[in-house]
Amino acid sequence: MRCGVPRSLRRRPVQLSGWAPLKALLPVACLPLFLGASLHAAALAPGAPDSPETGGTLRLTASSSGGTLDPQISYVHITYQMEAIVYDGLTTFAKTPGPMDRHAIPDLVEALPAPEDGGKTYVFHLRHGIRFSNGREVTPDDVAASMRRIFRANSPTAGPYYSHIVGGTECLHDAEHCTLSGGVIPDDTAWTITFHLTHPDSEFFDRLAFQHASILPADTPPHDTGNTAPLGTGPYRIASYEPNSGLVMERNPYFRQWDAEAQPAGYPDEIRYAFGLDPEAAVTAIENNQYDWMLENVPLDRQAEIGSRFSDRVRLIDQMVIYYAALNVNLPPFNDVRVRQALNYALNRKAVVIYNGGPAVSLAACQMLPTGAPGFEPGCAYTKGASPEHPAPEWKEPDLALAKKLVAESGTAGQKVVIVTPQSGGSDAIANEIRSTLTDLGYVASVRPITPVIEFSYIQNSDNNVQVGLTGWSADYPSASSFLQTLFSCATFIPHSDNSINASQFCDHKFDALMDRAAEVSLTDRKAGDALWAEASRALMAQAPAVPLDQTRRVALMSSRLHGAFDTPIYEAIFSQMKLRRAGDQP
Amino acid sequence: MLKSLLQRLGQTVFVLFGISVMVFLVFFATPGADPTARIAGKNASPATIAKVRQEYGFDRPLPVQYATMMKKLFITQDLTSYANRGEKVVPEIIKAAPVTLSLATGGAVIWVVVSILMGTVAAAFRGTWVDRTLMAIGLVGVSIPVFWLGQVANLITQARYHDTWLFSWVPPLGYVPFSESPVGWFKALLISWCTLSVLFIGVYARVLRSDLVTVSGEDFMRTARAKGLSPSRVLLVHGLRTSMITFVSLFGMDFAQLIGGGALLTEVVFGLQGVGRLTYQALSSLDLPFIMASVMYSAVFVVLANALVDVVYLFLDPRVRDGR
Repeated sequence: MRCGVPRSLRRRPVQLSGWAPLKALLPVACLPLFLGASLHAAALAPGAPDSPETGGTLRLTASSSGGTLDPQISYVHITYQMEAIVYDGLTTFAKTPGPMDRHAIPDLVEALPAPEDGGKTYVFHLRHGIRFSNGREVTPDDVAASMRRIFRANSPTAGPYYSHIVGGTECLHDAEHCTLSGGVIPDDTAWTITFHLTHPDSEFFDRLAFQHASILPADTPPHDTGNTAPLGTGPYRIASYEPNSGLVMERNPYFRQWDAEAQPAGYPDEIRYAFGLDPEAAVTAIENNQYDWMLENVPLDRQAEIGSRFSDRVRLIDQMVIYYAALNVNLPPFNDVRVRQALNYALNRKAVVIYNGGPAVSLAACQMLPTGAPGFEPGCAYTKGASPEHPAPEWKEPDLALAKKLVAESGTAGQKVVIVTPQSGGSDAIANEIRSTLTDLGYVASVRPITPVIEFSYIQNSDNNVQVGLTGWSADYPSASSFLQTLFSCATFIPHSDNSINASQFCDHKFDALMDRAAEVSLTDRKAGDALWAEASRALMAQAPAVPLDQTRRVALMSSRLHGAFDTPIYEAIFSQMKLRRAGDQP
Repeated sequence: MLKSLLQRLGQTVFVLFGISVMVFLVFFATPGADPTARIAGKNASPATIAKVRQEYGFDRPLPVQYATMMKKLFITQDLTSYANRGEKVVPEIIKAAPVTLSLATGGAVIWVVVSILMGTVAAAFRGTWVDRTLMAIGLVGVSIPVFWLGQVANLITQARYHDTWLFSWVPPLGYVPFSESPVGWFKALLISWCTLSVLFIGVYARVLRSDLVTVSGEDFMRTARAKGLSPSRVLLVHGLRTSMITFVSLFGMDFAQLIGGGALLTEVVFGLQGVGRLTYQALSSLDLPFIMASVMYSAVFVVLANALVDVVYLFLDPRVRDGR
């Protein structure tokens, strides 16, 4: 599913590079026009867009690499973003700017098939003539092998995303002998792949679009390929990779654009990623045009500087992410719904927004569905003058009096509360805001910061008895279930485990049934389904197993030569759509 | 000779064993440090977790896990990172070593030359304003944290004055291999060398000065003066050589510790992909194989340097050599 996003791990930027000499090489101004045109055509790489903006080297920077390149294993944003232009799935998410709630579109297949057998069978027609970067054509067998490989290579999402393919559960427990023979059936004659599911899934196309379902050659080794990237079908291929210094991507010579939305042809001839600069140094380097883009968010202390000096080089990118404080519903005082509601009423979200950079980049959150997600309907149950039954349109101000009344009714004042937070500037400040709110409500509250790499799994394990845990969650794909079902269903609470994503330990069978119904209805009627998800979101907040804090936007800085329509939901930036101005071109 | 060599070897093995056991136990005793969940991925199913646990051997007794890790680190050298299964730890450390070596060597040249100059001049002008000024400068150097100095150096050379004639030559942060471009290598490291050496210049100049002052009252110095040698000869040949003993032993340990990854902050601030930065990354991602390998690497250098310093003593101090 989606990934937890400790604030400290928020994404970073990239870069482009060097172009310049083309113009200089053109032997002076008096060349006849047609010669200029033919030179341009001759210089154009196969599969590259026929545009004067094609070419150049994009220079990106990140503080560190993302580890393995195996697209079916890697589960970090840097690799997801990078490999979006190296690999394709049967479906994908549009790689063009647009709203956040767009669902998957066809990629390696001709069209999204209509569900058969009550939503349990899909027959995909594979496109002809799409080639891997070694020139071999993609066949239905490659698709079947890639689906098997999800289980054989131990993909993190094999269980939550793909185990409902017939034979998937068996594969999960005995990966070596995984065949999926009854679940994925390739047909070389009809050039189709038939999927059989154990139960209908309204998010099946979205899951196939996620990078773990990338289509790789059938002979890809059935284990993590580590620093070697398997062959892909996208406009670029990974030419070299040193996890501690850098990565180079070059054009895939066999790529020909088949769908400008699913996998558009790329502008830069080469993409170079350098690893090692911390975000502060990266901002300076981009200001100096030494790099074009960085993976990380611009640090808060530099945002004023870039806002005033480089406002034309800044982009704010919407993210489907929610930051929240998980309240443990099995431990006092938060085993009392009134206390959970009280904290929701009392917390000043305005302070949270300020700690995260102000209203331009942070939006106060009142529910666990981020703004723009499918099923999101504006509404805030916990602000002055509102209640779960009568929500206000948006958060306005805290209601401390009501909160104190609820605490008094619960009789829990005076109890000790420990807030666990990842150790980083922004999170510490917010944890302390919660601490002082709890103190105002009469509790003896303290903050325990933990190193970010541990905190995410620490707050999940019920053995650690965490009362309040700060964390964040972003979606792998746009869906309400990514947030509500993953974070708050009975199935995702696994006692005594570091991998129990339901950190609130919330389990309500009525709420589970409502979500199941929303998923079922979405299968045939997306709009009615979304309405049910909105209802589920309200039902969840009535129980208040968490305090939603805010939703942030990504602050990205670009070099002066970078431009183009490259910002998209989910991926945030599509490197192939980054265009580079040549020296002398006017912005 | 052979006996002392074996003794030294035994000590080394003992130190490495002690440190590695400590690193290992502290790692597994930390709540939430169990790497299984992080390796398997967020929200992985229990079946996937179980498979990862078995594949990595986390389900086996700790002594067995420890022995396996040591075997993979020292014998088969195929220990891989928990964060990236494709990344072998030993080759990565070997690749990072030249960066750290370049940084430490360049820094060492600067701090040795400058601190000897400063210490000797201060001793020669003992009690005057020259002495006081030099020692005050030294104290300032000791007091400045290296990460702050590095950031300020970056701010000046990369941001505020980057486009001026003074600093326009400064390349982007990062390392340029010597084999690729000796000039680029020099330019890329110069600012970090200066930053790294500031602290050491302060310490070494003060140590050297005080040793020179102490030694000036010794009998052999008096004898040298009585022989009619010039003051500069007395100071430089007789005084300096003897006073270098503390200097050298300090240098041995400091240099070894830097080569072993001790210049971590400097490497991080200047974006140099050396052993220190690897250690820093391993610690931030709690990647035990890398933590273990970099700690072992560092320990080896410190133990070796200790041995080397003992040998250098023999040459510097006749009393040690003759067993007097």
